[in-house]
Amino acid sequence: MQQLRSAVAGAVTAVLVLSACSSSDSEPVTRQTPEAPRSDVEAAEAAALEAAGGKTLDGQVTMLGVLGGAELDAFRTVLRPFEKATGVEVQYEGTRDFAAVLQTRVDGGNPPDVVATPAIGEMAGFAEEGELADLRDVVGDDVLDANFSTSLLETGSLDDEVFGIFNSVNLGGLIWYDPKTYEGPTDPASWEELQAWAAETAESGTAPWCVGLESGAASGWPAADFIDEILLREAGPEFHKRWREGEEPWTSPEVKHAFETYGGTVAEGVAYGGTTNVLSTNFAKAANPMFDEPAGCFILQQATFMGGIITDSFPRLEPGKDLDFFAVPDFNADYPGIRSISGEIVGMINETPQSVALVKYLATREAGTLIASTGRWLSPNKNVDDDIYKDYFLRKAAQVIAAAEGTYSLGNSLMPQTTVDAFWKAGLDYTQNPEDVDAILQTVEDTR
Amino acid sequence: MIADRIRLVLIAVALISILTVVYLRLGDRTLAHLSQAGYRRAMPWLFIGPGVLIVGLTLVFPGILTVFFSFFDSEGTSFVGFDNYVATLSDPVTQIALRNTGLWVILLPSLSVLVGLAIAVLADRVWYGGLVKAALFLPIAISAVAAGVIWTFMYEYQPPLAAQTGTVNSIITLLPGAEPIAWIINEATNNYALIGATLWTQAGFAMVIFAAALRSIPDELLEAARLDGASEWKAFRFLTLPLLLPTVVVVMTTMTVIALKAFDIVYVMTNGAYGTDVLSTVMYRELFTAKDNGTAGAVATILMLAVAPIMYYNLRQFRRQSREA
Repeated sequence: MQQLRSAVAGAVTAVLVLSACSSSDSEPVTRQTPEAPRSDVEAAEAAALEAAGGKTLDGQVTMLGVLGGAELDAFRTVLRPFEKATGVEVQYEGTRDFAAVLQTRVDGGNPPDVVATPAIGEMAGFAEEGELADLRDVVGDDVLDANFSTSLLETGSLDDEVFGIFNSVNLGGLIWYDPKTYEGPTDPASWEELQAWAAETAESGTAPWCVGLESGAASGWPAADFIDEILLREAGPEFHKRWREGEEPWTSPEVKHAFETYGGTVAEGVAYGGTTNVLSTNFAKAANPMFDEPAGCFILQQATFMGGIITDSFPRLEPGKDLDFFAVPDFNADYPGIRSISGEIVGMINETPQSVALVKYLATREAGTLIASTGRWLSPNKNVDDDIYKDYFLRKAAQVIAAAEGTYSLGNSLMPQTTVDAFWKAGLDYTQNPEDVDAILQTVEDTR
Repeated sequence: MIADRIRLVLIAVALISILTVVYLRLGDRTLAHLSQAGYRRAMPWLFIGPGVLIVGLTLVFPGILTVFFSFFDSEGTSFVGFDNYVATLSDPVTQIALRNTGLWVILLPSLSVLVGLAIAVLADRVWYGGLVKAALFLPIAISAVAAGVIWTFMYEYQPPLAAQTGTVNSIITLLPGAEPIAWIINEATNNYALIGATLWTQAGFAMVIFAAALRSIPDELLEAARLDGASEWKAFRFLTLPLLLPTVVVVMTTMTVIALKAFDIVYVMTNGAYGTDVLSTVMYRELFTAKDNGTAGAVATILMLAVAPIMYYNLRQFRRQSREA
């Protein structure tokens, strides 16, 4: 759900940027979407024309998604070559309430042609009802297999049908820090090593962890995502898969242990400002105390997009010098080098020549290259050259993925929304009352 | 794009006007064939017909359908009797929501009458009254979602000793020894914080209604009272207030309905976390997240039943007033 959240973050950071404007010097503070190289845009136009069958189609295609603000502007740079080459107008409607809007429009007989969402579990629900086209037929097996890794295709599949292909990817589980103040290990061998440093720092009187869980109606997701990642890497991908598919209960000891491991980052004295502050701090502002004088905390766990959020609020930070990240170390030596990803997938409801052309286009390497050029997302397309990333953080994240033993999707993006909501709330409740862990897990289990 | 929209709006307005004229003309001509008495009886229906039809289609029919759904399972296929009601009323989440909705219904109407009436009465007595009224009235123009975001910032919390970024806490911490309060998270304060934010958007409305009603009280009455030696408080208590009573009822009932359907501010600010759920947020979650038509219908019906007596009382009051007038 990162996109959804970062869409919210976009709104929040817009306000932050305004306040940053008034307090700091008059430097340009909004990050402009960098322009893609001319040759890449031209290549994308050619690919779009080919996706449309070699001729202009005109007409329009409606698309429902979760993007807004600067993120939508960035995605528009990917759509523009398609519109220019095919003459098709893409009417993108962004909503925070994706599931509700989509359900209403499907029920009302007025569904959008194409949908894009990070809530893969919700999409699977629509696929089960037969609302989504099988993209194996639409795009073609050979193209899909040539452009996407098996695990990404499987994530967007139900039985043998592909209902969604990844459009953008975020790498989760990164520790953000300020190299000027952080004195802990930047390449810890294990979670214990990192937490040993954290405990030492806490004892010296400064909280090591910066944590913020507030996110409006989606509050609690940063905790849920981290617990999800911990479980994946602590109990292993196979357990994680059984858990998200409902074969392992929430009340199992592995899940409880993952909650407790997460609890080690928000305990009193360990997280900046204590529990109340963790709960009331917006995730987009969580890193702010890191740049106080003296620093209020040193490390923050969050996905790739956090780099953009932080540099939006602190435009003078130089990536790599004033802000950097390392991947969260292994939790369990039995499952080394595992990384978690999340991302937005694209599906098709109405099969029209225009919507087919759009989905085909988005599956191409050329469109994937433009996604990478936006400097906001990693491209899901395996044929995209890593050199394309101009953004320091994205380039580094692409290296982390390349070096990973395996990448898996977070479980909560694949679950039904009722469970996801309960998971988010469990993240808040556990942070507030860790001693109630059994009751909290039972509550989530009951939503299944 | 915008030109297209404007054209569309103009066409719609023209079309509706033309249709209305044609409808009334044709209807009148048809009714003209009736006898004098029949014409008189049928004429009102010609006028209220479209309104009744629209309300019937968009309000009554979905309302009945909702009640109907509330007796069926989540898919709306098999009859389950009162199971949905029993299930939702025994759910602790709904119980908290019921408690909170009760709190809203008590606090929002009484506070908006208090604030609205006080400002309406007092603002006329000072030179800067207009300013005060404008300041209270302006938030009406702000959408509830925006108000929710604004108040999220107002209530913002930073740990003690750190610079407070929220207005409310930065004022509080000016007091020596006072600690900042996490308004939205602390369960002792959060419901009041949400009601306070809603009050901010609604008190102006109450004030405007009261200000208009005050104008209709003849000055001679107050003057006579003062000549008879009544103090300002007595003149207010025994003259102004009784004359304003019907207005108080109108504001109270309007605010009660607003309190019962409170949703947007809660959704934006907490989404029901930390025990701030109200019935509407529970209904929304049942319908759109859990996709359970039955339980959502049951919650909606409970809400409808809660509003019904207030609406009935309001209508009766309204009818009595128009009879008196």
